[in-house]
Amino acid sequence: VSATRQGADLARASGLRVLVCFKVTPDFEALRDADWRAAATRGAVETRYVRRVLNCFDESALELALRLAEALAQRGVAAELDALSIGGREVEPYLKTLLALGYERATRVPPAPEPGSADAGLAVAGTGAGADETDVAQAELDFTPGVVAAIVAAYAERVAHSDLIVLGWRSGPGDSGTVPFRVAETLDWPCLTQVTEVAPLGDRRLQVACTADDGPLRLTLRDPCVLAVGNAVVSRLRVPTLKDRLARRERPVEVLAAADLGVDIAALRRRETCRLTGLETIDRSRRGVVIEGPSPRAKARTLFSSCLRDILETL
Amino acid sequence: VRFAVVLDGTVATAASQAAALAGFLCDGLSDGRGAAASEAHGELSGETFVFYADDRDKRRLVDLAPTRDVRLVKTTARRPDLMVDSLIAPVRGGGIELVLTAGGAAGAEVATRLACRARGAVLTGALSVAVGSEQLHGRRAVYSSHLIGRFALSARPWCVSIDASWSDGARDPGPELAPGHEILSDTDETRGSQVASIEDVELLEAPAANVLARSRFLVVAGYGAGSREGAERIARAARRMGADFGASRPVVMNSWAPLDRLIGVSGCRAAPVLCIVVGASGAPALHWGIERAAFVVALNPDEHAPIVANSDAAVLDDGLTVIEALAEIVRP
Repeated sequence: VSATRQGADLARASGLRVLVCFKVTPDFEALRDADWRAAATRGAVETRYVRRVLNCFDESALELALRLAEALAQRGVAAELDALSIGGREVEPYLKTLLALGYERATRVPPAPEPGSADAGLAVAGTGAGADETDVAQAELDFTPGVVAAIVAAYAERVAHSDLIVLGWRSGPGDSGTVPFRVAETLDWPCLTQVTEVAPLGDRRLQVACTADDGPLRLTLRDPCVLAVGNAVVSRLRVPTLKDRLARRERPVEVLAAADLGVDIAALRRRETCRLTGLETIDRSRRGVVIEGPSPRAKARTLFSSCLRDILETL
Repeated sequence: VRFAVVLDGTVATAASQAAALAGFLCDGLSDGRGAAASEAHGELSGETFVFYADDRDKRRLVDLAPTRDVRLVKTTARRPDLMVDSLIAPVRGGGIELVLTAGGAAGAEVATRLACRARGAVLTGALSVAVGSEQLHGRRAVYSSHLIGRFALSARPWCVSIDASWSDGARDPGPELAPGHEILSDTDETRGSQVASIEDVELLEAPAANVLARSRFLVVAGYGAGSREGAERIARAARRMGADFGASRPVVMNSWAPLDRLIGVSGCRAAPVLCIVVGASGAPALHWGIERAAFVVALNPDEHAPIVANSDAAVLDDGLTVIEALAEIVRP
């Protein structure tokens, strides 16, 4: 099994298998202060009506993997890209886009059984998990990183046989930042955090740049590893051309139940050892004195004379 | 409660880790009834695991330890996974209920892996924790730092990495916490690790990041700069005033400014006397990087942008125009 392979070169004869995991999250910037205050009182954040975005670090991870595959191809080394997301049907457009961009497989694991799916069984007739229940299941997964990591590790080991797992170093709402470490621990792999670049080094190794707590690092990787992507300059996922979309439109998004991966979400959730018990607001407010004036120049002059002059003299 | 502190002496940040952990022991850890743990002496005893890669660092590292009892472990540098190999036996066998690691990625990795392996519970980025009779209660930022979450940890060992903000102005370990050190053990665990998965590790220079951390007068450009040219104009205005130049994540991610100029979560946490924020909404991720500023000025046309309420003074106007007008008045 590739997952426990060590000491061998990273890219096998069959090529390098890269699994990239991503999360689609609510855009928190769209919520106002009042929304956050209400959320803290209620103990839950209402995000159903907030638009969804790709977690920014995951977006970097998805694009970094595409660039790595291109660089490997130039050296005659094949790379196979897998994309995985845990989420409801709202993640499918993203998975379709990734297939069009050249991802070999794009898989979605629903956070709860869905109506119409095989594992929903007899519950299909309207009593399976509806949109609301899926939302609730998703929200519960936000604060159970152990469940997310178990799904990722099982998928890497049983389905994708990955040599490399690339994912964002953290994502809201949970922000625990522990999923990459948990995946690495489960597979007995090392983990590199705050990864900013990854490139082939010769045919069989990778050069990785990351930002450690004490500064930027560059290093060489020969064995399977989890790469947790941080502030990579590569931050936008490319947009597929219409031609790409048409050429690959027949490729299906695969939907896999957690149970098929041997992961019992309910049991793992019951065993969760760190539970969210409440929310608090953070008061960041200061005086917020508004400087008035007839023009930007006049305001700049007032700002200087009323506040800045005295402060600057102390510097 | 028996606790262990983990100090990663294989990297250059050992002194700030130690100071932050000592600060946390004094002010971040309570007994659940509100009393600081350091006052409830009798109920807490702990030791520090000091990891080192070079024998020459040993003496200096032992002096940094925030507890009297110290265990030295020689290990491979920059490998939190291997540090956990060395921690697992003493934690399981020594009745250690609480393990504290430093802020930052390495500390979070040690805490997470240790909790997984020892079947305990993990809290990363802890702002504070309180030891209860059955559970550990802790607080950390959630929802991309828009809120603070309260958590209850059940299974022991409770593995806690502290928030990076504990490094702010952290003091040296006081005498009450470090009354001369006793070395309980010194083991070499480098031979045991046959893994060499990560090679040729090379630390690169990051000149600007260091400058920003020490800056006394900082100008920060946000996405409202509008373009690379806009960001460069703000940087030029900053230079004219004798200020350092930083940027928010959207600015850096659009390559309008270099990565080492990044202010905020996962970038630099600055503490200037004066900070002028130009065209940034003031999202929590950025705010974390400037919240220690003594005086914050917001230049933003949107009166509803969070940065306006979170500033000491605000000019509701085009940020670029105002900062350039200001650069004609302020002389370094």
